[in-house]
Amino acid sequence: MTRFLQFAAGLAFAAVATMPVAVRAEDPTDVIDYRKLVMKSLGAQAAAMNATLQGKAPAENFATHAETLALVASQALVAFTPKIEGGDSKPEVWAKWDDFSKKMKEFQAATAEFAKLAQSGGAAAAQPKLQATLTCKGCHDAYRKPRG
Amino acid sequence: MTGLVKFVGGFAIVAAMAMSAMPLVARADDKDVIDYRENIMKSLDAQTAMLGMMASTQVEPVDLISTTRSLALIAKQAQHSFDAKVLGGEAKPEIWANYADFKKKMDDFVVKTAEMEQDAKTGGLPVVMEKMVDVLTCKGCHDAYRAKK
Ligand code: HEC
Ligand code: HEC
Repeated sequence: MTRFLQFAAGLAFAAVATMPVAVRAEDPTDVIDYRKLVMKSLGAQAAAMNATLQGKAPAENFATHAETLALVASQALVAFTPKIEGGDSKPEVWAKWDDFSKKMKEFQAATAEFAKLAQSGGAAAAQPKLQATLTCKGCHDAYRKPRG
Repeated sequence: MTGLVKFVGGFAIVAAMAMSAMPLVARADDKDVIDYRENIMKSLDAQTAMLGMMASTQVEPVDLISTTRSLALIAKQAQHSFDAKVLGGEAKPEIWANYADFKKKMDDFVVKTAEMEQDAKTGGLPVVMEKMVDVLTCKGCHDAYRAKK
């Protein structure tokens, strides 16, 4: 499996040299740690961004949080591409990969769009899209094990 | 002490409202200020750890560009997040006692992370690794200004 993934990844590398398809790592715990770090960055940046929208933090930082979220969202799909079960991921992530990756790509596209709105029109332009952008809970409900 | 800070804070708000430069939706309380700067630090931490895993070849450096860019952005978010003198969290009072020095460390960090973003684009991982110790001055600042719990 790993060899296949590496082969597939290598192939795709050759095909689209600038678009890596997977975070490849030798050690499965590294893969899990890495995707958790991506998610942790999302958690902290989303909380910080919400604070800027609620008047609890400097409003002028709003757009850079939106941009950071979009960047981190772009790291998320590749981080889950290696089929390494564990962490708080449900096995469904890979059993229903089509749906999972669709959700992740939509999340990536939505955060990119949100960041653009934030950049050009500030909170007034972006905020109406906030809920539709932060689809965190929808994905977690389906693909993340509840924490005991 | 807190009373004085609050008084000064309140005064500043009245002044700001009078100037009405910015609509103040809600007043950030001390906990909000601390949560905010800690969330910024947490995301710095996570993105730095990712970069570290790339540097130690634990993962392929597929996110090198986005990680170095987000570090530069997060550094900018951090730049002014200690301007308000709010004691608490793991922040040492020395931050505000030596604010010029703290600010200089923060400003340098912003400049260096922006340079690292460029290095990632032009030189890739080898150049980023060469300069990493000099860029990621986290420990230098923490030793002086963070009381780790
Ligand atoms: C398309 C699916 C998906 C989306 C969208 C998503 N997540 Fe996650 N998230 C996951 C999965 C799966 C895990 C479990 C990862 C693991 O432990 O293996 C996770 C884990 C987490 C964790 C726990 C990390 C840890 O320390 O273990 C946090 C925090 C988190 N996500 C925050 C967010 C936030 C905030 C957003 C939205 C801005 C978001 N996520 C969007 C799928 C998603
Ligand atoms: C110029 C000073 C400065 C620099 C540079 C700096 N930090 Fe911090 N950091 C602080 C201070 C001060 C705190 C305590 C904040 C608080 O709790 O109120 C802190 C707190 C933290 C925390 C704890 C957050 C929490 O409460 O969970 C982490 C993690 C962290 N920093 C990581 C980093 C990393 C990683 C870097 C470098 C990439 C970095 N910091 C660079 C000053 C700095």
